[in-house]
Amino acid sequence: MSTLIIVDQPPYGNWAGREALDMVFSLAAFDQPAALLFTGAGVNWLRKQQAPDAIGQRSVEKNLSAAPMFGVEEILADAASCERFGLGPEQLVSGVTLAENLQDVMNAHSNVAFAG
Amino acid sequence: MTPLSYTLVITGAPWSSQAPQSALAFARELLVAGQRIDRVFLYGEGVLLASALATPPSDEVNWPKQWAGFLADNAIPATVCIASALRRGIIDDTEQARYELPGNNLLEPFGIAGLGEWVEGNVKSDRVIYFHGSN
Repeated sequence: MSTLIIVDQPPYGNWAGREALDMVFSLAAFDQPAALLFTGAGVNWLRKQQAPDAIGQRSVEKNLSAAPMFGVEEILADAASCERFGLGPEQLVSGVTLAENLQDVMNAHSNVAFAG
Repeated sequence: MTPLSYTLVITGAPWSSQAPQSALAFARELLVAGQRIDRVFLYGEGVLLASALATPPSDEVNWPKQWAGFLADNAIPATVCIASALRRGIIDDTEQARYELPGNNLLEPFGIAGLGEWVEGNVKSDRVIYFHGSN
């Protein structure tokens, strides 16, 4: 059984996305298959060269880059959301798979959860 | 019909969202229908439901107290995520001592623990149901 955690919140402005990332890392730490799907404003997590110093926050890029090391199986991005937010392949961090059909992605997992 | 087991996850705070209220109504109906609740897990803003200091006006429902009564009456374990709780000032006596804080406010019978308890619910419960706020 595998769990898909969906992040539809932007990386800054609230903590829901970060807390979603903690959920997926916890699953991986307990050897539970887990994957991340970014959709809506959540795709901005995957933008290269984030610079949140001015708002006194750490870049979420670093947190995210640890995901494969923690054993998170897949990082997916909703292709339509990427297009809407002007995120072309050259702006995306590496290791991201674009998903055209979210229904297929959700069907591939036994549990699906939003963090908040 | 064989009863199912449930983990309920609440991520919306009382008064800024209806999540705790909706979750309580759902939880009560589960028991009426003969289903089992393995655990209630408070995460993110939902941890504010475990504040013993929430004091709404007397003509409003006190959701933390309502939830605490329901949990105690039915002996349902309830966990508050430690990282979410510490960020938002929900503190038990252990964390008060650890961080040398001036007070604690965790409402019984809630207990503070890690996301591991959510992971366990994810594995063991037949259903995991989320009650979110307005993000």
